Amino acid sequence: MVLKLTDVRTDLFNDWCPGCGDFGIEASLQLALTEMGIDIDKVVLFSGIGCHGKIVHWTNTFGIHTLHGRTLAFAQGAKLANPGLEVIALGGDGDGFGIGAGHFVHAGRRNIDMTYIVHDNGVYGLTKGQASPTQRLGEQTKSLPQPNINSGINPILLALSTGYTFIARSYAFNTRHLKETIKKAVSHNGLALVDVLQPCPTYNDIETKAWYDGEDRRDASGKAVPRIYDVNSQGYDPVVTSKMPQEDFDRKIEQIFRLSNEWGNKIPIGVFYQEEDRPTYADRILQRIPTYVEMPPAKQDIFGTDNKSVVDLAELSRELAIDATEI
Amino acid sequence: MENDETKGAEVTIRLGAAAGDGIQSAGEMMMKVLARSGLYISTYNGNQSLIRGGHVWFHIHAGTRKVYSLGYGIDFLVPLTQLAFDQHFESVNTGGAVIYDPSIVKPHDLQQGVRGIPVPLGEIALKYDKRPIMKNTVALGALTSNLGVKFEVLADAITDQFGRKNPGVAESNIKAAREGYDLVKNLGAQSFELKYDYSCTKPVLTADYAFALGAVNAGCRFYAAYPMSPASPIVHWMASHAKQLGLTVFLGEDEISVINATIGASYAGARAMCGTSGGGFALMQEAVGEAAMTETPVVVVDVMRAGPSTGLPTKTSQGDLNMMLGISQDDFPRIILAPRDSADSFYTAGRAFNLAERYQVPAIILLDFAIGDGGYSTVEGLDPSFTVDRGKVVSVPSPGAVSGGWFRRFALTDDNISPRSFPGTPDLMFVAKTDEHDEWGHDLSDVNSGLKEFLPLRVKMHEKRMKKLESIKKELRLPEIFGPTGADITIVTWGSSANPAREAVQRLRMQGVSVNSLEFTDLYPLNESEIKRILQVPGKKVALEANYTGQFETLLKRETGIIMDAHIRKYDGEPIYPSEVEKGVLSLRKEVHAVV
Repeated sequence: MVLKLTDVRTDLFNDWCPGCGDFGIEASLQLALTEMGIDIDKVVLFSGIGCHGKIVHWTNTFGIHTLHGRTLAFAQGAKLANPGLEVIALGGDGDGFGIGAGHFVHAGRRNIDMTYIVHDNGVYGLTKGQASPTQRLGEQTKSLPQPNINSGINPILLALSTGYTFIARSYAFNTRHLKETIKKAVSHNGLALVDVLQPCPTYNDIETKAWYDGEDRRDASGKAVPRIYDVNSQGYDPVVTSKMPQEDFDRKIEQIFRLSNEWGNKIPIGVFYQEEDRPTYADRILQRIPTYVEMPPAKQDIFGTDNKSVVDLAELSRELAIDATEI
Repeated sequence: MENDETKGAEVTIRLGAAAGDGIQSAGEMMMKVLARSGLYISTYNGNQSLIRGGHVWFHIHAGTRKVYSLGYGIDFLVPLTQLAFDQHFESVNTGGAVIYDPSIVKPHDLQQGVRGIPVPLGEIALKYDKRPIMKNTVALGALTSNLGVKFEVLADAITDQFGRKNPGVAESNIKAAREGYDLVKNLGAQSFELKYDYSCTKPVLTADYAFALGAVNAGCRFYAAYPMSPASPIVHWMASHAKQLGLTVFLGEDEISVINATIGASYAGARAMCGTSGGGFALMQEAVGEAAMTETPVVVVDVMRAGPSTGLPTKTSQGDLNMMLGISQDDFPRIILAPRDSADSFYTAGRAFNLAERYQVPAIILLDFAIGDGGYSTVEGLDPSFTVDRGKVVSVPSPGAVSGGWFRRFALTDDNISPRSFPGTPDLMFVAKTDEHDEWGHDLSDVNSGLKEFLPLRVKMHEKRMKKLESIKKELRLPEIFGPTGADITIVTWGSSANPAREAVQRLRMQGVSVNSLEFTDLYPLNESEIKRILQVPGKKVALEANYTGQFETLLKRETGIIMDAHIRKYDGEPIYPSEVEKGVLSLRKEVHAVV
């Protein structure tokens, strides 16, 4: 399907703050869908509550703005019911790693074939800038009366330890990188995380666009030295297979541990981990129910031409009821 | 109730032991014996929240006429431990008997007219295994003999229980049971004989299973749950039939994920349901509002247990009605149904799906431990024919339904129900929102909120959802009368409290008391005017329910202004017994408010 960006973007009024990193994420997502030439009718965006959530209105696909923190749970149910849908879930760092952290962890165990994009800005923006789960210990963003008393979590390692099979980080204002990362994530067969570093111009006055871009540090020629760098273009290969030797695998994990903790002067973006041969949840269901993909819950005929149920109740009740010769 | 009501027409049995002694399977075997002898059955599983030890029991009420509840007292007590004897001997009826192993149980203080039947259960059991685990089958042999049921029926039940796994085990158990059977026969101790019909088996089901069966018959293809007693039998059954039925079963990380995934599955086009008990439902509440706000149908079953908090996990209650009336924040439509027994549960599942989809609202089903998990009752003649109604699901746009590429999913219509499409349907793309939204699903909560030109739209969208209740209430079932219309006293019941009331009504009427009962199954929304008419009876009205505050009584008062003359409320965790209803009704005749 050949698409233009205007096929994917709606003309509804966008009320994000000027300079918001969400614009970069929205554009990258829409560009990715356009370039992939995806069947737009099959795409469903699921968002949570927070500034990011409104993206479903500005993208010309099916979409649902779910409850705060529940995006992944909702999206997994939809994907299980109809695996033919291209499911892209969107969340914030408060939404996904705070109130929704339990769902984030358990989604990894299932490895359902879908994409999860996190708008990660270190603050709860829509509620006026409280410290989010990814804000670092001792940081004091604009609206905090005292420095943050909690440590920040590391989404890359959390995803790694729970079973995500595609784990990437990107940056909201590097739309080329983010767009390509989203394309890879959507194409990946399994659960993909894209953690997007996203400046919040209103409430995060520490991890600003200028800071990420290194405006505060200049080389001899006066050029800003960006903090963000692309690990993959520097030769880091994220691919992991079940057949690789244990020591190679261990080395990879050590590398991810080190890379994902790099922060401050150098901040890596890119694909950290990619594993294609772990069975997806659909593969696992298929082992048990061979008809699952062609006849998933949402696609079955639950009634015949006469509107009557198609279930053979007699057979079921015979085994279920104690002594059901005939119920 | 117009059947033969002589004493000989029914029997009550209670088996008691420690958890791990196999008392539940013994109870189920005995139930099977009686069902295969043509009797109607109602049981209760006296469980404790432990795996081994403690005290558990299984109660069977069986009769040649329909039985509804646990009957009166105990005709046969089979205590395998002293604790089981001590707990229950006072409830044994005059003319009843206690079958016990004299080396284990000291049958002290037996009431006059209660016979002790000593059987060396352990000694016999040890002949067939190193451990006396078969003592319960020996006891079943003794019991079956006492009841005058032919031994072959018990032998068949034992074969069913053990045969498939291990024919040798079945054989030893049959031999052990035979010794118990013959020993009692030779004692000449047979005390009871009902009219058995071995050609006529009466199938039994618990409400949990009946509900699951009804749900899949109605097209449920997605079931989600987090483990919680007493709702777990549903997920166990669904999981073991996933392949056969093409069901997707989702064991979520918590009840919040369970209901959100269920709503997600329904949004994607499946008939989806989830189940839990009260504590789990408490976690689900926000999402029930989400289903109502996004007008996504969902069916949720709450198998109630006694609370609050963790409460009594294996004990029963009807204490969750208030929660269902006040689920999460602000007003939204919901349907609350409470089937009385297993057969009712089967049909209610189908009705719940059709109602939820027709009105695009959450439907809540209240079962309870007493009937749900271990509470078997006879189901005869279930009608499998079921007409599926998925409501206003559309697959092609109608004129005016689509504009600027968007489907008017939340259109304001005359009947307040909007056409619905499933994601993936070409040309019917829409967004849905947990925020307040316009007819297209777009935000009324941000740049337009509070603006004077948008206030009327918020009101219309809110009213559109709420007004569905007016149509729903006309479709829901009015309460049914049990017994004759017109009585001096009417017992008002809901859900499973109908069952003990029926047996009390039967017994009281035999004593010449003019009494009937009124059974509510469809609790919300109530059809106020019709219910007012029905409840305008000259006699006294007494509300019967298993909670402290009288939750349904309060609802009736709130919705109809009708005030009960008295109430019987029970909240010790045990099921309501007909004797307690009888006592309450009799005390009402003396103008005394009864609290059992």
